[in-house]
This record gives sequence, structure tokens and C-alpha cells, in this order.
Amino acid sequence: MRTPSGTLLSRFTMEVVTALVTGLLGAIVCYGSTEFGTGWGDAGPEPGYFPFYVGLITILASLFNLAMAFKHHRDRVEEFLTGEQARRVLAFFGPMVLFVLVASYLGIYVGMILYLVGAMVFQGGYRLPKAAAVGVITAIANYFLFEVWFQVPLLKGPLEPLIGIH
Amino acid sequence: MDNFSNLMDGFAIAFSMFHLALMAAGVLLGILVGVLPGLGAPNGVSLLLPLTFTMDPVSAIILLTSMYWGALFGGSTTSILFNIPGEPSSVATTFDGYPMAQQGHATHALTLAFMSAGTGAMFGVVVITVLSGWVTEFALKFSSPEYFAVFLLTFASFIGMGSGSAFKAIVSMMLGFAFATVGMDGISGNMRLTFGFPELVKGISFLVAVIGLFGLGELLQTMEEGLRFDGIHARIRIRDVLKAVASMPGHWLTLLRSAIIGCWMGITPGGPTAASFMSYGLAKRFSRRKEHFGKGEPAGVVAPETADHSAGTCAILPMLALGVPGSATAAVMMGGLMIWGLTPGPMLFIERPDFVWGTIASMYLGNVMAVVLVLATVPMFAAILRIPFSIIGPMIVVVCFIGAYSISGSRLDLWLAVPFGILGYTFKKLGYPIAPMVLAMVLGDKAEDALRQSMIMSKGSLGIFWTNSTLSATIMALAMLLLFWPGVSLIIKRLRKPAVAATA
Repeated sequence: MRTPSGTLLSRFTMEVVTALVTGLLGAIVCYGSTEFGTGWGDAGPEPGYFPFYVGLITILASLFNLAMAFKHHRDRVEEFLTGEQARRVLAFFGPMVLFVLVASYLGIYVGMILYLVGAMVFQGGYRLPKAAAVGVITAIANYFLFEVWFQVPLLKGPLEPLIGIH
Repeated sequence: MDNFSNLMDGFAIAFSMFHLALMAAGVLLGILVGVLPGLGAPNGVSLLLPLTFTMDPVSAIILLTSMYWGALFGGSTTSILFNIPGEPSSVATTFDGYPMAQQGHATHALTLAFMSAGTGAMFGVVVITVLSGWVTEFALKFSSPEYFAVFLLTFASFIGMGSGSAFKAIVSMMLGFAFATVGMDGISGNMRLTFGFPELVKGISFLVAVIGLFGLGELLQTMEEGLRFDGIHARIRIRDVLKAVASMPGHWLTLLRSAIIGCWMGITPGGPTAASFMSYGLAKRFSRRKEHFGKGEPAGVVAPETADHSAGTCAILPMLALGVPGSATAAVMMGGLMIWGLTPGPMLFIERPDFVWGTIASMYLGNVMAVVLVLATVPMFAAILRIPFSIIGPMIVVVCFIGAYSISGSRLDLWLAVPFGILGYTFKKLGYPIAPMVLAMVLGDKAEDALRQSMIMSKGSLGIFWTNSTLSATIMALAMLLLFWPGVSLIIKRLRKPAVAATA
């Protein structure tokens, strides 16, 4: 298998990995559905009946996709991701996961402010005061939109009660 | 005409200040999500859905459908001005729309796009108005085996008529079914596939999946290319608008053909994306100016836009009448219907005629309003794309996660959106279709119930789908034909040796 220069992940590798992952998910579904029986009970099909076959078809179709990956992509020079693309995707994905992490402990509002400020300062090259202003204004706008106008409470952390918002 | 008087009642419901304001808000929000990269119609509707839980269903559906129209228009705007399709269904619009804008005919291209989109949508609504009475009568004959047969038909058409690998579509769909079974089983009350996690008892919401698959997945893909907006400044001049409007009747044949393609693909779940490509291909094939296509041919804008919108509109009909959505966005809306406590299907027309006809009437009004609003606000929305991505990108992410959280106020949903995002990104790059997964997640429970009830009726024999009635047998036969269509069409091609050249 040859790969063009700069390729981090080839299409072939990714096809194989994806087929294996979907097959594994199918297997998990099959395993999980055996808990309640997959056959015919007193009141018709048992609860595991439908998911069991869903899992089974997933496994079979994944195996077929795996075979097709070997047939179509093995000797072809196809990239899934170049180093440059991976860098860009990670630069976006990393902060996103950090945002979720912060948001699930400190609440969405605090997470939002930190995320926006961080992205603007470190990735956009803005100065802190401007970034902070954008972050805080966005959070306040969202507060009014969701909590006040639509009355949909968003996840709050330990910091909001300090300024009197519950 | 029974439908006509029903429609008039519908107008009486839809035509209130509150509803008109909702339409305007929905259309504007829709244009916004259509214009922003990473947010599209299915996503926008998912994000807005939690905000409608407390609304009256008629108002809620008006808001969501209006957003849908707006998103379709917004997608065309970015296709023409930035060569970036805001929606997969407006990819075909870039082929000729962007060249037209480059040559300085941005206003002409935009107006043509909006007018043909409006025409396509109108055609679609008229078809819905005419057909819905009939479809309902037909659907009242349904019992469990027939329902399962229709579900199977829907799923089979996604597998057989899809453009990519059928087995990838199967994997995507089956995973959707699997996700749908997580949580409490509606028939037995058992906790299925929760593996001991109490958070999973309530199941995996299809909305989280849509936000992850479509929103985050698409954002990741956009990021990979590095964002550059080579926008063309659009100044809307009234004179150009009028000139473009005046040229519309000249495209009548393209309009009619595309609208019919769109309606067909919308009612059978081919979806707007397939419809717009097919319509573009056919317009090129039948045109006397073939060589101008791809270089800024007005008909190349008219054809995909008309089909896109008529398909988008028609996709609402099977959703309301049968409970079988024709597109990913319609699937999300149907999920909304069920959350509001309505049961999509023929009984909806009998139990809640105010809802059904109010919705249909609002589609007429909403589309007219969308054309006007989008023309008036294009420069403003085009300006949004000039905001640096380091600001707009994180804001889109925040909106996506707020949407995920607000579905049920669960912290787990925040985390679930992330793997769905990775899944969406990978699936898209490898050519796994995503719409079947969403469809399966929305319909999973209903399809499973229909299957199990049929099995109970027949004491475990799969033959019931063939023997219960001619109706179910016919639908089953159609489903099988669609399912094995790739194989069948291969055989037909072999038999008719001189192969017809593929349309581009």
C-alpha cells in the first residue's frame, strides 16, 4: 500500500477502521439484546427480538463493507486526512471538547465565555479586552434569549449563584 | 372540493398577527442557519425544536416549517455568492449560480434562484393540497402489517435509490435503529441496551444525533478545508430584480419539469438533494444551450432550485399523511410532532384538521413571505460571512451544544453530541449516507411496534406482510423492487446493450 506524501491517514485504513467499529457496535447490540430474550415469548416477540436482528444485519453489512474496502481501496493512493488537514481539524475539535468539559462542570454560560475568549485570543489573534467583551455580550444575549424569553433553563455551574442567577 | 374549503379554514387559522410574526422570525432564522456553514435545515429545526415544546402545535409547526423554507433559501444564497453550498441540496446551484455572480449577474442569479424556488415550493404545496385528502383515505385502510410495509418501503428506497454503496446505507440505517431501541421498551417496559447506565433509560434523542451528525460533523469537514470566503458583493438593484422576474416565464418548461421531479422525489423519499442533481442533469440534457451549462447558464440555476424546493415541500405530505418523512428535515419535524403529542398519520387529518390545514395554509403564506424577505435581507446575511471565522465558528459550536442540552436538560447529551459529530464527519468522508440513520432513529420505535404487532397477529409468520391484504402485498413488492433496484437495474442495463450515456 502506497500513500502520497503528507498523508496522515489513508482512505483504506479509515474504511477498515470504520467497518470494524460499526461491526463492533452491531456485536454490542446483539449482546445487549440477548438480555431479554430474542425469540418468541408468551406475548409475541420478546424485547430483544428486533435489536438482535438489527445488530446481526449491522455485523453482516459491516463485513461486506470491510471486504469492499480491501477490494476497492487497498491499492489505490487515496488519502483520508493530510497532516495539514488534521492540524486544522484538531485546532477546532480540541477547543470544542474543552468547551464541553468546562460546560459540564461550570455550566454552559461560563464555558461559552471561556471558549469564545480563548478562540478569539489564541486563534483569531484578538486582544483580550475585545475578546472578553464579545464573550460576555454573547453570554448575556443567550441568557435573555433562553432563560427570559423562551424560559428554557440552560446548564448552570457553581459560579452563577455568586452573581445572583439561579 | 372538500380540500378547498378545508384549506380556507386553514388560512383562517394561519392568518393571524402572531403567526405571521412567527413566519417572519422562522424565515429569518432559517436564512441565518442556511447561510452559516455547519448549520443546515435539519440542524436548525433540531435546535429550534426544544423552544417549541411549550407552544401550541400549530404555532410550533409554522415556526419550524418557516425555518425550513428560510434555510433552503439561505443555502442558495451562499451557493451563488460564495460558491459554498449552505445545504447539500444547493450544491447543484453552485454550478451555474457562482459563474453568473462572477460575471456580475449576482442579482439576476439570486432573483432567479429565489423566484424558481418559490415557484417550486408553490407547486409542491398545491400538490400537497390536492393529494392529502386522497392519501388519507388510502391510509385509513392501514393496519400494522401495512404500516410496516410502508416503513420498509421508505427504508428500502433509501437503500436502493441512494447514490453510494447500498451496504453503507444499511449500516447507517441499522445503527439508527439500534440507537432508537436504547432505553425503555414501549411494549414490555424492559430497559434495553442501557448496559446499566441510568442516564440511558430515557433513550438517545434523535435530536442530539442530528446536531452531532449534521452540525458538528459538517463543521469539522468545513474546518478541514481551511475557510476562505471569496464572496462576491451583492447589491440588490430593483431594476435587475424586475428584469429577472420578467425572464421567468421563458423558463416555463424547465420550471415545470423540475417541479415534477421535485414532487416525485419529495413524496418518495429521494430527498431534495437527489432531486436538485437530477433536475440539473435533465435540464442540461434537454437544453439547446448544453455547452453553456457550468459557465453561468440561467436555466442551470432555475432547474436545481425549483426541484430542491418542490421536493422539500412535498416531503411534508408523506410525513403528515403516513408518518413517513421524505427527508431528514421532515424526519426531525415528525419527531417534533410526536413530542407535541400528535400522532402523524391518517388519523391526524381527522382528529386535528385545524393543525393539518393550518400547516398547509401556512406553507403558502410562508413561501411568499420567504421570497420577499430573502430578497430584502440578502446583503445583510452576506455580510455575516465576512465576520472572521474565529468568532463565528465557536458561536456556531455553542449554539449546537445549547441545542443538545435544551432537548431534555441532560448533561449526558452534551457529551453524546461529540461522538455523533465524529461519526458524522467520518461517515460523510467515507460516503456513508447520514439521512437513513436519522430516519431510522425517528421511525425506529414505530417500525418496531408495527413489526411486533404484525408478528403477534400472524403468530410469528413473516408471510403476513404478503397475505394480509393486496395493499400490503403491493407495497411489499414495491419495497423489494426498490431494495434490490441496484441489482435489477444492472440486469436491465446488461439486457439493453447500447448503454445510454450517463448524465453529468
